[in-house]
Amino acid sequence: MRTFHAFLIGILLACTSAAQAEVVLVTSARSGPIELSREQAEKLYLGRSTTLGDGTPVNLVDLPNGSTRDEFYLKLTGKNPTQIQAYWSRIVFTGRANPPKEAGSIAEARQWLTDTPNIIGYLDRSDATTGLRILLRLP
Amino acid sequence: MKHLAAILLATLQIHAGTALATEVASPSPFSVSGFGTLGAVRTDKDNRAFRSSTTQSSGASTDFDLSVDSVLGLQATYKFSSALDVTLQSVVRKDSSNSYDPTLSFAFLRIQATPELTLRAGRMRTPFFLYSDSLNLNYVTPWVRPPVEVYSLNPFANLDGLDAFYRLPVSGMELELHAYEGRSDLDARESTGNLTRIRGIKASLSASRLTLHANFAKADLAMYWNGPTFVALGNQLIATGNGQILEQITGSGSPTTFISTSFQYDDNRLLLIGEYAARMMERYSASAIGWYLTGGYRLGSITPFATFARQHQVATDNAANTGNPSADAALKMLNFARNKAQTSIAAGIRWDVTRNLALKTQLERIQPGPDGLGILISSTPVTNFSPGGPVHVFSLSADFVF
Repeated sequence: MRTFHAFLIGILLACTSAAQAEVVLVTSARSGPIELSREQAEKLYLGRSTTLGDGTPVNLVDLPNGSTRDEFYLKLTGKNPTQIQAYWSRIVFTGRANPPKEAGSIAEARQWLTDTPNIIGYLDRSDATTGLRILLRLP
Repeated sequence: MKHLAAILLATLQIHAGTALATEVASPSPFSVSGFGTLGAVRTDKDNRAFRSSTTQSSGASTDFDLSVDSVLGLQATYKFSSALDVTLQSVVRKDSSNSYDPTLSFAFLRIQATPELTLRAGRMRTPFFLYSDSLNLNYVTPWVRPPVEVYSLNPFANLDGLDAFYRLPVSGMELELHAYEGRSDLDARESTGNLTRIRGIKASLSASRLTLHANFAKADLAMYWNGPTFVALGNQLIATGNGQILEQITGSGSPTTFISTSFQYDDNRLLLIGEYAARMMERYSASAIGWYLTGGYRLGSITPFATFARQHQVATDNAANTGNPSADAALKMLNFARNKAQTSIAAGIRWDVTRNLALKTQLERIQPGPDGLGILISSTPVTNFSPGGPVHVFSLSADFVF
């Protein structure tokens, strides 16, 4: 019985940590219909596109420096924090494009994404609460 | 500890207050960012000053000098809509008159005309070579500074005019075409000049690991020398009945071409960068070719690298054969003084301390010449005739972005 309990707790813990490791791309529940492929999301967050697949311009939100942000970029673009910093610095300081708008905190990012239609951001799965629509999962 | 908790609590309350006060939270359309380098450099030769650019009138000698590489840039953008914004950038670094007055390096309107097409109008940077449009941004490269053998070929940094970026996918890769036109003005050491009717196109093809670039640009060059050496030379040429030679040395309307081809390879471990660039001009300065090859290898946050670089002159535009020995000597002096030919080998280390700070150190061995001092300057101009043996340059720098 004890072993069974330990087993159950182990499974639960594994599930929780797996759930925490999932990053999701989200938009406000009040946004219009938005289709977002993984490929398009990568283009957007690498500054290679500023629109959705259908040509609609879209604004992006970044989280402040931290583990969710690092995990998001690594999963979506394969670049580590230093590489993504160098990559975006070159785009911004040569005047090619604007970077995603960085929120001061996860709470602020969630607030922007809930309140403002037609902007896109990413959050840890557990932070994507009511008022938000999940567009893409990055397990 | 109690204090800290009280402060935290107060901050939370203030935040909660503002969140309640604003009905709809939206990202601000205004953003500010910046970049910079704090660099120290010294050489092992007393009468040779090392510069990072031909526009500098002074450089580093046997004492550590902070003025050669240090730079600070601030950039602000205001978005009127997702398709229209305005960007300003100001840079502070030592200029040709040894002052640190902030200069305006960006002031443009940017329009996202279609998903593929970006248009800009105003002040941008000349994109002649691979890193020309990010010359002050050392954070993005392994080196302390871009190799002077290529980047001294063009000291014109500002582009006042129009440009367009067009991006299109090409079989899994991305092609960026950058067309530009405008003019550029410059104050350099003992000279002023401008490029007018600049028109050029740059193509960049990016795959996941490899990026290839090619640029072709034409312009009309005007160049006015104003140092004491030049004034003496001008008087001498006129006095000896060779005044017509001055038209080969100073004036406007010299057809000029800038060409560059380059590659960058980065597989997250191995880093290779190579560039071959040429400047061809009919009058006022000499045509020259520069190139470099850099190899680096990432070991976690440490990246050791090595560079070989060379510039050589392909033609001198005025032959020193007036028949008057002293005028010939003065002409030769001018030719040598503006010849930036040199060969260098460098080894260094980049250390990524945190995500927005890199520390670098680099040791270079520069062999100036033939027929000039390269990027180095000397307080006794006659040294240009005998550049002598190699000069060693040691640099330390901290590059940051915010």
